[in-house]
Amino acid sequence: MKSEELSISKESEEYLEAIYRLEEKSGSARTMELARQLKVTPGSVTNTIESLEKRGLVIHEPYKGVKLTKNGRKLALNVLRRHRLAERLLTDVLHLDWSQAHDAACELEHAIAKEVDEPLEKALGHPKTCPHGNPIPSESGKLVEEKAELLTKLAPGEDGTIAKITEEKRDMLQYLATLGLVPGAFVKMEEKAPFNGPIIVKVMGASYALGRNVASIIWVRKS
Amino acid sequence: MPALSCHKALKELKGKTDLTIALAGNPNVGKSCVFNQLTGLSVVTANYPGKTVELNMGVTLHNGTRIGIIDLPGTYALSAVSDDQLVARRGVLEGRPDIVVVVVDASNLQRNLYMVLQFLELGFPVVVGLNLVDYAAKIGLKINHEKLSELLGTPVVPTVAVRGQGIDELIHAVVDLAQGKSKMKEPKITYGRDVEGAIQTLGEAIQERLDETPYNLPARALAIQLLENDVEFVDMFKGRQSKRRRRRQRRRLGQGQDREEFLKLSARLARQIEEKHGEPVGIRIARERHGLAGTIADAVQTKFDQPILLSQKLKHYTVAPYTGIPLMVAVMLGIFAFIFYVGGWLSAFVDTLWVSFISSNMGELVHFAVKNEILANVILWGVDKGILAWLSVGVPYILTFYIVLSFLEDSGYLNSMAFLMDNVMHKLGLHGRSIIPILTGAGCNVPAIMGTRVLTTKRKRILASTLVVLVPCSARTAVILGAVASFVGWTYALLIYVIELMIIGMVGWGLHRLLPGESSGLVMEMFPFRFPSASVILKKTWFRFRDFAYVAFPVVTVGSLALGALYETGYLSAIAEPLSPIVYGVLGLPAVAGICLILGILRKELTLELLVALAIVGGYGSGAQNLLAFMTPIQIFIFALVVTIYIPCVATVAVLGKELGWRNAFLIMVFTIVLAIAVGGIAYRVVPYLGLSG
Repeated sequence: MKSEELSISKESEEYLEAIYRLEEKSGSARTMELARQLKVTPGSVTNTIESLEKRGLVIHEPYKGVKLTKNGRKLALNVLRRHRLAERLLTDVLHLDWSQAHDAACELEHAIAKEVDEPLEKALGHPKTCPHGNPIPSESGKLVEEKAELLTKLAPGEDGTIAKITEEKRDMLQYLATLGLVPGAFVKMEEKAPFNGPIIVKVMGASYALGRNVASIIWVRKS
Repeated sequence: MPALSCHKALKELKGKTDLTIALAGNPNVGKSCVFNQLTGLSVVTANYPGKTVELNMGVTLHNGTRIGIIDLPGTYALSAVSDDQLVARRGVLEGRPDIVVVVVDASNLQRNLYMVLQFLELGFPVVVGLNLVDYAAKIGLKINHEKLSELLGTPVVPTVAVRGQGIDELIHAVVDLAQGKSKMKEPKITYGRDVEGAIQTLGEAIQERLDETPYNLPARALAIQLLENDVEFVDMFKGRQSKRRRRRQRRRLGQGQDREEFLKLSARLARQIEEKHGEPVGIRIARERHGLAGTIADAVQTKFDQPILLSQKLKHYTVAPYTGIPLMVAVMLGIFAFIFYVGGWLSAFVDTLWVSFISSNMGELVHFAVKNEILANVILWGVDKGILAWLSVGVPYILTFYIVLSFLEDSGYLNSMAFLMDNVMHKLGLHGRSIIPILTGAGCNVPAIMGTRVLTTKRKRILASTLVVLVPCSARTAVILGAVASFVGWTYALLIYVIELMIIGMVGWGLHRLLPGESSGLVMEMFPFRFPSASVILKKTWFRFRDFAYVAFPVVTVGSLALGALYETGYLSAIAEPLSPIVYGVLGLPAVAGICLILGILRKELTLELLVALAIVGGYGSGAQNLLAFMTPIQIFIFALVVTIYIPCVATVAVLGKELGWRNAFLIMVFTIVLAIAVGGIAYRVVPYLGLSG
């Protein structure tokens, strides 16, 4: 295991990190989206994904996208941990502007050796989140995630606050936002059509029917 | 109405009036009611090329001032994220009205104020029409409109538009503001520190370096648009536009490098906010705007307890599955029966009137004026049969249907139906709202295709219209019943409907996968049930009917003349002749059927009438009244099946062309012909095994 971790290249680490972020956002990472994020060509994404798949770090389902395996997830969280610790270091100790911290941390994260991250964490005073407010995974790769469930899981009459909306299309996000469907908004389930039909939710005093495919990008925390 | 370009229509409107106002508001807040109260029947409809959403324009007179009114589509906001919003925004930016009247729903102030804030941001003088104050009171909301006026810095006039209350006062406030008799206060719309900081930085850069902004927007407004990464404005800066526009823009926005600088600056500012708040800046701004609207709403409204209204309970029953579905089935059957019986009765009535009073007289008149027998007959095809074809479809089916549709729309029940049907329609790449046009197709395809306007994207409209065309309308039902049910048996008539239903399912499923673009999900407001205003419904019906008339009348008349000429001169057989390999070879029909099929394009029920008529001429004598004398049961079945599927009638083609463009209309025509031949050909070879004698 250890030798495998050591053999992971900087490039692979970047890939795992990006896949993790995309998976968080929308359930899986599409190769086109990966190429865009990593600023590489779709062809080279396919090549790298193939080699990562061979090493059992990711699973590539055609037309669906890339998902991390258990091992891949562990490695990705480790990269994320180093990235977020690096950001803390840059902003708290070196007083870099937080808007510059991200890019610099992308470089720095790969240089933080296994022996260094724990002392670093200690020196920084065991921060819980990065400067942008995202949680820092623990050394064992655990991430304290917020508990949220799909909006469609609410029964009629139940309510909650929107935790996140996982959608990549900006237009849809923006459209929902103009109706008041934004994270933090209070929603009440009014009606659910059977057989995975649409739902009716009340938000900001108005009721909206949402098709299941729209409703299933919205995550809520039940109140 | 011939499609008028918005650009031109707006210019004309401004030219002939002293003052122009734009009427804006969320959907279903009574905006069209206000528009109707203000304007008469002389409403002009215009659209932007490629957009299905239209702008209505009208003129009203107030104490000698001629006021032009631009009725923007009802939208929730003014971003470039959907067609309706884009059209609303362009209408107001290009139209540059002197005043924007925003009609808001007093029973849901927070969401409604969102757009008021957007208009104020864009720098427009605004008058707020606080509508539905009566309904708000019923559900226990009281709005202090004076305080609202103070907070927004704009005049606020309470109205009940359905009953015309407050409309005069509203116009009065508009004129006062326009003539400087009242003043707006500078509204204080400030965002959170980060967003505000970014807006100011970008705004200052714009102020310093741009001589002229697009649409003469204030620097602050443009800064917000760029920060929100608004597609239209960003494209303008990138220079991604039509050539003509680009030339105009280049003059205004300076050289490419400068423009790139702005985009870079705005992207950098946006990224900073995004990183700090963990959400895209557009969402952040929307959230803060909602917060602002909420604060204002809370400050001006008081809530008191009121019992739950009957309409609210009813709403619940219409969407709850166990009560909603039976109710919907009943309503659908009701609509179907209404269109079928009332429309059918009216159609027969119009037919009788025409035939007994006009046809005979016109026949004599034309024959008297035109001595040439053939020419006279051709003219009669156009002015007699053609106009009748148009009248007997237009008046009975379209008028009645539109009254029903407008009632469903305005009352809010249409949305309940759409909610229940969403699941089924989703499989066909459509969403719930498309059930109404498809159902209506069984009455008449023409209003059904116009009814696809309730769908928001062109893709959905093409999909739904193609399915509508495949729904057997009342004329085709007449052929199915008259030929198949009478001579072959009602089970076979039913079989045609089953085949049609299967075809519709498969075509929908297939098209959904073939057409580029994907089906976006349903997002639809479920507004409370309201009793619609009769005058709004009648006016809506009239405008829609007028639209139909402009399209269908010339097409049907010219089509009738052309087909009549072919028929009377005998060229029709010459055209039908080359078709006989298909008609006889593939479909196994007698050659005479080919002529009937061609003429049936005019009106589908003509096919049956002609079949009988031509058969009599063709030497079968009066015994041909019985179709079985010269056609086998299989041939009758295939004939009716093909009639049901092939090319929609000429009025339908005309409306397809108008609504979806001629290219799409042509594609749908070709598709249905191929489909009809294929299905007919297969049926010809399969049906004998079902026990039907050949």
